Amino acid sequence: MFPRARLAVGLQRRIVLAPRHNSVQAPLVARRLISNSSCTNAQHSHRHQLDELSSAIDERKSHAAHLRPREFDEKGNELNPYRNGPSALDKAVHLFFFTEIIRGMWIVLEQFFRPPYTIMYPFEKGPLSPRFRGEHALRRYPSGEERCIACKLCEAICPAQAITIESEARLDGSRKTTKYDIDMTKCIYCGFCQEACPVDAIVETQNQEFSTETREELLYNKEKLLANGDRAEAEIAANLHSDHVYR
Amino acid sequence: MRRVGLREWWRQLQYIGDAKSGTYVGTDQFGNRYYENRNAEEEIPGRHRWVDLAQHEYNATQVPPEWHSWISHIRKDPPTQDTVMQNLTPPWKAPYYENLTGTRGAYKPYNTAVPKISAWEPKTKARS
Repeated sequence: MFPRARLAVGLQRRIVLAPRHNSVQAPLVARRLISNSSCTNAQHSHRHQLDELSSAIDERKSHAAHLRPREFDEKGNELNPYRNGPSALDKAVHLFFFTEIIRGMWIVLEQFFRPPYTIMYPFEKGPLSPRFRGEHALRRYPSGEERCIACKLCEAICPAQAITIESEARLDGSRKTTKYDIDMTKCIYCGFCQEACPVDAIVETQNQEFSTETREELLYNKEKLLANGDRAEAEIAANLHSDHVYR
Repeated sequence: MRRVGLREWWRQLQYIGDAKSGTYVGTDQFGNRYYENRNAEEEIPGRHRWVDLAQHEYNATQVPPEWHSWISHIRKDPPTQDTVMQNLTPPWKAPYYENLTGTRGAYKPYNTAVPKISAWEPKTKARS
């Protein structure tokens, strides 16, 4: 649950003490979670809310900008324009006792006793979008036939010119690519290729963990891209299905 | 620790580096076990799904794509309950393997097209 907070308290003490200790501590800590506490650290002042929008340039440009407008009550007596603000004594107290610094350090102290927000990466992963643009893949039709028809729209639109395509007619007369190379070191992951593709053949999968040790391993050819698609087809298809209402 | 037991707690501290307990969601074909705890009082939202990787030499790419989309919070349901993903799984799905860079199984690029330039091969007619 909150191992960091417990480590600060001391592991041995926690083990020795009965579970009663935990049940007392848990609501105290739990109530201070950001996810279920309202934002009260900021000082809300309703006096600063403007009634209507204005640029307020004229007020700031005038020579009497530092003077508050004079206010009068109904009898005609002049009122102190600072009567609603903090008194001079209050200001002096906050100035000489460094209350702002202490309040800031109190927030730091609160954060120290909160559970950490660190995501332990290979075991827990941050959220990704179904439209996330990661490693490329070439897809196949459900029959197993490869989708790419070598129209070269992706090659044309690629702003980094990372795609190289050569095509030939196959024996059954269909035009297919013989070469589909993507230089992943050039690719800027803009996603234009998958938007340009008329048959959803080239897609960017949600895989972002394709780092390599050598540069040449990032020069993908057609077989590598097709293998990526064969392995991740279920994920790609599910993501396209979850997004199909917006396309 | 009280909930997962001493042995599991020690394993979590060695690998995840944090003591976590939650409901068991499933296991993939490599033996990685997946857990979830959606109680916001116990787990920080965003840390509520995690994997207990089977191998000691663990690696983020050991998670297969179906479970990757669950643990990255792309899909709501795990692939064992996700009917959309099950229906869209093709019969020709290739077996998954992790990122093999740095090993002998690493990908090496090669040309898939016929080279346009071929070296000159001298052909001599046999003299009569």
